[in-house]
Amino acid sequence: MTIDQVDLAIPAYGGALDIHVTRLGAGPALVYFHPADGFNVDPFVLDLAERYTVYAPHFPGTAPGDPYAIHAVRSLWEVVLAYQEVLSALGLERPVAIGQSFGGMMAAELAATFPGMFERMVLLDPIGLWNDDYPVVNWTATSPADMPGLLFHDPQTPDALALLALPDDHEEMIESLSRADWSIGCTARFIWPIPDKGLARRLHRITTPTLVVWGENDRLCPVAYADDFVAGIPRSSKVIIPQCGHIPQVERRLELHAAIAPFLG
Amino acid sequence: MKVSFFSQAAYRELPDDFEQHHLSCVTTPYSLTTPSTIYDSYRDFMDELVHAARCGFDGVAVTEHGQSSYDMMPNPSLIAATLAYLTEVEGLPVAIYPMGRSLGKSREPVRVAEEMAVVDVMSGGRLIAGFPVGLSYDASLNNAVAPIESRERFKEHLALVLRAWEDSEPFAWNGTYSQYPSVNIWPRPLQHPRPPVYLTGTGNPVTMRHSLEADFGFNYFGWFGLKMTGRQVFDRFWDLADQVGVARNPFRMSFMQIIGVADTDDEARRLYAKHAEYFFRRALGAIPGEMLSLPGATDINGVRAMLRDSSDDGLFAQMKTVTFDQLVEAGCVTVGSPATVREELASYCTEYGIGNLLAMLNFGSLPRELAMNNIQLFADEVLPHLRGIWDESEHEHHWWPERLGGRPRQPTAATLAARS
Repeated sequence: MTIDQVDLAIPAYGGALDIHVTRLGAGPALVYFHPADGFNVDPFVLDLAERYTVYAPHFPGTAPGDPYAIHAVRSLWEVVLAYQEVLSALGLERPVAIGQSFGGMMAAELAATFPGMFERMVLLDPIGLWNDDYPVVNWTATSPADMPGLLFHDPQTPDALALLALPDDHEEMIESLSRADWSIGCTARFIWPIPDKGLARRLHRITTPTLVVWGENDRLCPVAYADDFVAGIPRSSKVIIPQCGHIPQVERRLELHAAIAPFLG
Repeated sequence: MKVSFFSQAAYRELPDDFEQHHLSCVTTPYSLTTPSTIYDSYRDFMDELVHAARCGFDGVAVTEHGQSSYDMMPNPSLIAATLAYLTEVEGLPVAIYPMGRSLGKSREPVRVAEEMAVVDVMSGGRLIAGFPVGLSYDASLNNAVAPIESRERFKEHLALVLRAWEDSEPFAWNGTYSQYPSVNIWPRPLQHPRPPVYLTGTGNPVTMRHSLEADFGFNYFGWFGLKMTGRQVFDRFWDLADQVGVARNPFRMSFMQIIGVADTDDEARRLYAKHAEYFFRRALGAIPGEMLSLPGATDINGVRAMLRDSSDDGLFAQMKTVTFDQLVEAGCVTVGSPATVREELASYCTEYGIGNLLAMLNFGSLPRELAMNNIQLFADEVLPHLRGIWDESEHEHHWWPERLGGRPRQPTAATLAARS
């Protein structure tokens, strides 16, 4: 099945920048918040697009061809406001939200800042909290060679290898590596040096029913944070996926669908 | 030609297999040290700087690195202040050159301006100020600056420091990275219009262009292997000078090289080889590449350029296991008899248009006596032969303190505009 994909550039923050939004699929609106290395259309996103119209806002600076948009914003607060403007400009009314890792934090920040903005929210191994007893790994300063073992319970599965693979073509590889590097740099800007910017003190404002999903073997952002999110968000519950690392949508895609389907209805 | 002594406060007694187990910065276990070897490393470092000042070097230069075993230098102003007073008391006409004050790292830029102004006053106007963006690990891991902000912070802070030195009236500063209701530092520098400023770069054309347009000097380090990188890096700089429309004045360019001098070439190799290997394997070689360029610290186009052509890195990727022969061949070090050393250095300076040489004469595990002898021998047998290299040049040295023979010039509208 072919899924139409449209890239939109929505002026935001008084025209200071465009927020690029990829739209794909058909059905009720779902906003997908990508992880730190930028938005990629992966099989999970394609699955969602079969049931929803997926809107994926690109964090400033991470959209292809517009790297310096990151310099148009100065704080996480400004990005949250710009995202709200864009979702409003798109005419989305109480969409579903799904956020992975860094994107989970962005979804939670929006839901805490604008209670009721989302009908339902799924957070996949979100960052945003900090506990000295189980710190979040600073992936921006981690050797690339160490990343597979931090991202996956089993980095040797075909799905994991496919995500980690680089393009064979040299120019495409340069483009892929430089974009990922820059995207990680852009998203790191407002979670540096520790990804705790006060979200814990804002979680109580979230009124959206929330499902927190975590890979049981997440070595990047430990599963213990699932309980912290559930304790903080009033109408929330959790699902823990066994034999799964930081990216359930890649490592345990079918189990993830089974976990979120009853919640999303 | 100005020839300065350059030094880092290295810990000299790391174990033989150090680089196989540890990084030389950020996470280096302090349990590897003893108080007495820390003291000795530091005492000798200070004594060597003073010795160089007394031996007739034109300047003494130090860098800044926090949480580092190869340069235990969280704030070079401390060393510069000590040297400023001591050399003033002794009447030594030597420039005090804290060349590494990282403004991409700094969270208190006005304090930097204040500290440097104090050094200029204490030295009677002999300060030269070096301002690098700062190493990525130092700015971002040691001092918590988001990598993508380090270069923008550097530019804003540099503009603030210069204005704090030069403006006669108090001013408010409403910056992106700092705000001050009133900037009016006491003391201001003695030098007018301000102390000479150098930027340090590894080959990034953005930094080169900035230094040329704003009329700063430029530092380049030979650690990566001058015979591998020199041609392209210096050509890039002088081509940019042509593009910007400024003269190819060699005094704009400052170059740092590790140097070992002994009576003969064989003796120099015998004395210095293992200490040079110590430096490259346990200092530079024990910094992972990603820590020198954390994501965001290098512009996306710079990352693309580096992925296409990493030749500016020279020998960096092999540093952890590098041998002395490789270091010599790549030009990472200049080691030999006085004749060998002066010929090689003179050749570099004339070929690449270098008007300021920074001689790193203590490096790695070099023990005190060897370092002291190296400084003395260089001062006696090499330095006098280099000093006259540019005597016939039509150019004046605009990037050196006036009290020490420099010819500082006033900023123009164009150079002021290029500051930020």
